[in-house]
Amino acid sequence: MSRTIDFTDTEFMIAQGARLIEDGKTIFVGWGLPQVVAMLAQRLYVPNVTQLFEFGAIGPQSVLPFVRGTMGGPQNTYRSLQWLNMNWAFSYSAAGYMDYGMLGALQVDPYGNINSTHLGGTFARPTRRFAGSGGGNQVASHCWKTIIVIKHEGRRFVPKVDFLTSPGYLDGPGAREKAGLPRGTGPHRVVTSKALFGFDGETRMMTLLSVLRGVSVEEVVKDMAFRPLLSPEIGEIPPPTDDELRVLREEIDPDRFIIRGEKMSAIA
Amino acid sequence: MTAKEAVSAFVSDGDYIVYDFSSLTRGPQSLIREVIRQRKKELWIGAEFTLHESPLLVGAGCATRIDVGFLGYGNYIGQAVCDGRVKAYEWTNGGLALRILAGARGVPFLPTRDLLGSDNLKVSAARTIMDPYTGDPVCLVPALNPDVFFLHVHQADMFGNARIFGTNLFALEAALASFRVIVSAEEIIDTDEFRKDPMRTTVPYFLVDAVVHAPFGAYPGAMPARYEIDLEHVDRLNAIRTDEQMGKYLAENIYSVADHEEFLDLRVGAKRIRELRRRATIIEGYR
Repeated sequence: MSRTIDFTDTEFMIAQGARLIEDGKTIFVGWGLPQVVAMLAQRLYVPNVTQLFEFGAIGPQSVLPFVRGTMGGPQNTYRSLQWLNMNWAFSYSAAGYMDYGMLGALQVDPYGNINSTHLGGTFARPTRRFAGSGGGNQVASHCWKTIIVIKHEGRRFVPKVDFLTSPGYLDGPGAREKAGLPRGTGPHRVVTSKALFGFDGETRMMTLLSVLRGVSVEEVVKDMAFRPLLSPEIGEIPPPTDDELRVLREEIDPDRFIIRGEKMSAIA
Repeated sequence: MTAKEAVSAFVSDGDYIVYDFSSLTRGPQSLIREVIRQRKKELWIGAEFTLHESPLLVGAGCATRIDVGFLGYGNYIGQAVCDGRVKAYEWTNGGLALRILAGARGVPFLPTRDLLGSDNLKVSAARTIMDPYTGDPVCLVPALNPDVFFLHVHQADMFGNARIFGTNLFALEAALASFRVIVSAEEIIDTDEFRKDPMRTTVPYFLVDAVVHAPFGAYPGAMPARYEIDLEHVDRLNAIRTDEQMGKYLAENIYSVADHEEFLDLRVGAKRIRELRRRATIIEGYR
């Protein structure tokens, strides 16, 4: 018998992201939402994943619940295999040891370029200013496969980012290599609150792979300021499972600082 | 030395300052508040992983330029950049860390494959050149040699030997690269303790110009294994949006108290301090 399951857009993004991580791999984890994705993944699906944080915590087994805002705090770095600093942390990715990188973004364009610096205006006099790269540029430059986690809103999916903070495929095939970035690296998946995207091997364009159960392809594309490529077979993503929601709500974020968001529902 | 003496002796108007870690974890918060209390002017901050430090320093009129790794929390600092009250230069966290490493090694620049293809490279003083060996493009970042480096540590001796337990941003590199180094410490210990376990010395004394004994010096952030983050206080910092709110916060927590000790006594209180110490339950790795 089918039943309806209620969740927030954030919970869906986190659950979806957690399902993408492969066990036994290394992952360079960005600030905020990516931390929670990695926590859920490690708790439910990939106990042998090795997380790395930019201030030099290698392989922590983070304590739950998640302490909001802290990345360098003792909970997040608990039971690390090694403690280093920032120059060494980025050496691990630059030397090619990070299978995955996971980042949030303000804006993303069809080539997976990320803006986290400013919206509107000019760089010197922006309309709205945000935190900037942090370590995002290094993660996107060097990890083999970068996963971007971003809320599905038209203003975030733009034909051209206002500022290119962290490199995707730049302006198309071969551009990363031409710019001097390591061959074979780049954006891999874009996880949103409605859908999952990959990147076409030929054109390097963002490609819709699957949509949340009950959401139409048109609904997804309508909420973007560019038209992505469509995979010949668009898959269906099940909503968050009871287990995913329980771990998120009871163990990771009982105060619901991170997981709150727009209410959604889907057939379980 | 007291924080008042150290900041007065070693920080001048117009200085370039860097610090290790942030307002949330092991940041030198008592030293930053002292800089604000002494109303230093025209500072240029190397803001790698900075959170509440840049809004406070800009809001207090101390800082006018920021090299951005991560530009602090919230609307206040974002608005200050939009209004042109503070000038931001983009480097990224890794870019700043590498510039400090170049400064530490005494070389004029270091090559990296970060920043390539990004707009950060266009708006900063980073340059792309052709690698003379392979002919491929490579990015160069210039060395950074700050005037002052602030570092808050778990333990130091009276000469400035210093120990951090846990991760850091660039503690040793920044101590080497900077012209002056002020260390604040939770605990002052005997030099013999360093000699017994030299693997754990983060910074040796001859890089350090001043040592300040500052228990709870990372407050409102956490000091791993010593005390937890005060999220309530952090929320007050996060909520600052207007100059009026900023002025109120600075008046209440910084200008109206004589020093860090008085701040702890009057604005934090013994009960809160005990509570935050009690909450720090993770000891493994920090002993």
